[in-house]
Amino acid sequence: MKTSGTAKWQRSLFIASFTIPTLAFFSVFTIYPVIKALYYSLFDWSGMSDHMDFIGLQNFKDMLHDPIVWQALGNDYFLVAGKIVGIMLLATFFAVALTRFGFRLSGFFRSVYFIPNVISVVVIGVLWNFIYNPQIGFLNAFLSLFTKEPVAITWLGFTSHTIWMLLPPSIWAGIGFYMILLIAAIQNVPESLYEAAELEGANQWHQFCHITLPLVWEQMKVSIINIMMTTLNGSFVIVWLMTEGGPDNTTQVMGSYLYQMAFRQYHFGFGAAIGVLILITSLITTVALQRLLHRETIEMS
Amino acid sequence: MNLGLRNPAAKTIFFAILIVWSLAVLYPLAWTLLDALKNNAQFLGNAPWALPKLPLLWSNFSYVWDKYNFNSYFINSLVITAGSTVLGLLLSASTAYVLARYSFKGSGLLYLFYIASMMVPFVLALIPLFFLLNSLHLINTWFGLILVYASSVLAFGVFVLVGFFKSLPKELEESAVIDGASYYGTFFRIMLPLSQPGLVTVAIINVLNIWNEYVVGTVLINDPKHYTLPVEIGVLQAEMQYRTEWGPLFAALFITIVPVLVVYILFQRKIASGITAGAVK
Repeated sequence: MKTSGTAKWQRSLFIASFTIPTLAFFSVFTIYPVIKALYYSLFDWSGMSDHMDFIGLQNFKDMLHDPIVWQALGNDYFLVAGKIVGIMLLATFFAVALTRFGFRLSGFFRSVYFIPNVISVVVIGVLWNFIYNPQIGFLNAFLSLFTKEPVAITWLGFTSHTIWMLLPPSIWAGIGFYMILLIAAIQNVPESLYEAAELEGANQWHQFCHITLPLVWEQMKVSIINIMMTTLNGSFVIVWLMTEGGPDNTTQVMGSYLYQMAFRQYHFGFGAAIGVLILITSLITTVALQRLLHRETIEMS
Repeated sequence: MNLGLRNPAAKTIFFAILIVWSLAVLYPLAWTLLDALKNNAQFLGNAPWALPKLPLLWSNFSYVWDKYNFNSYFINSLVITAGSTVLGLLLSASTAYVLARYSFKGSGLLYLFYIASMMVPFVLALIPLFFLLNSLHLINTWFGLILVYASSVLAFGVFVLVGFFKSLPKELEESAVIDGASYYGTFFRIMLPLSQPGLVTVAIINVLNIWNEYVVGTVLINDPKHYTLPVEIGVLQAEMQYRTEWGPLFAALFITIVPVLVVYILFQRKIASGITAGAVK
């Protein structure tokens, strides 16, 4: 069939009208700001005036000598590691338990476990502040049940290691999402594999190690990388709500330091440079994790 | 055939773990509601897990609703979430349809471009977005937040919907074309109704994310009149250091949670299928 010139023109017009507005919109409100951030990171700029000093890579050189940047970087990776271990262990356990162990109420548990994922991180931060609250908090009141004197620990005020306190809320909030992903992956494993294993007398542990784990490994890899990316990108919120990076900057993460430098101390160039650092670390870590987690993938036929 | 666990001891222990974790999830929610019905004396004098004393202080709810202006924050959140979800869906569905059904010069590249953009941390764009919206006079407006949120959910929508459109059979479209329907007619009258399940899934996930969003809201809104619920919760919690109104604060948390819980209960399956579709890369 011969396509006439007008038909071709109509087709092109249709394609253009369905792609260009979206692309233009996306470019203005996402791509342009990202590129502009790279640009700002080369300037010393208070944000308040049009006066911007081009200083090349000086912001990045300054970062090397800023102990808070290193502290933030360390805290970010601490949260990444802690969340990967905590979330993956629990999410995997729940996913297996709710699909393979034949428990009653599996559907109910699945629905309940996802609930923290639909609640705003702000709400979660405030709730956990009340768990940790030294005077009226849940944790101290609970511990006081076992002691003579009432316990009055300021959980979020330690001079070091306060960052540990931010792990439980982060893990609590993250499990459901990855559990759902792993449940879907496990349900894609052909039932016949498990049946054959049952016939050969393999117990649940063996089935997990030799069937489930290798076949859902791809999904676990995606989950681990996703935890890393969302943490580097978003751990800021829980930190900001619970400690504001304190005490004495010991719980600062890159995101919260970016916010503080830019919107509290008006060093917008330096803030943008921290943003670039987040981008770079996130990309490097993705590649590193891809390498580290690489396994011969097993194709399901 | 699923024989489940054979060891009864293991079965009991694992089941107990499952019960404990459901309590760990559900109890904080119940606690939020119970604490919303207390006054300060009860916070200071009784254990945190003590039930609220009668009469229950439902007035804490009306207090935050009226005195703390949660009525207007609620409307702000509602308008912004609805607006950005609809706009984001329109923009992503149109591109996703073309990418799924037509191949043209650069179509593969365009798809990759959206996918790759999901790798970029959004926080990087925060500072330039503030100045961009400032120069467009869109700081402290519903419209400004709607534009930014719509853009932030766009790539996810394109990704999921391309997969969804590809899964739909081509026959209906082909017969529509034979019947003389235009490109636009085919899309709006045949494809859109067919793709409703996919669109709803993407919309719900976007609704949840946008309703809960805090960082962008905090940066782009600094006039209390235009606060969204999460932004106000953040402000309120900071204020609590000087003004202790714990009961109302918990009532505020509860008001913020209830809408997403309702959406979750209604659309559980859709949400699960949406996040599964969005994560398979």
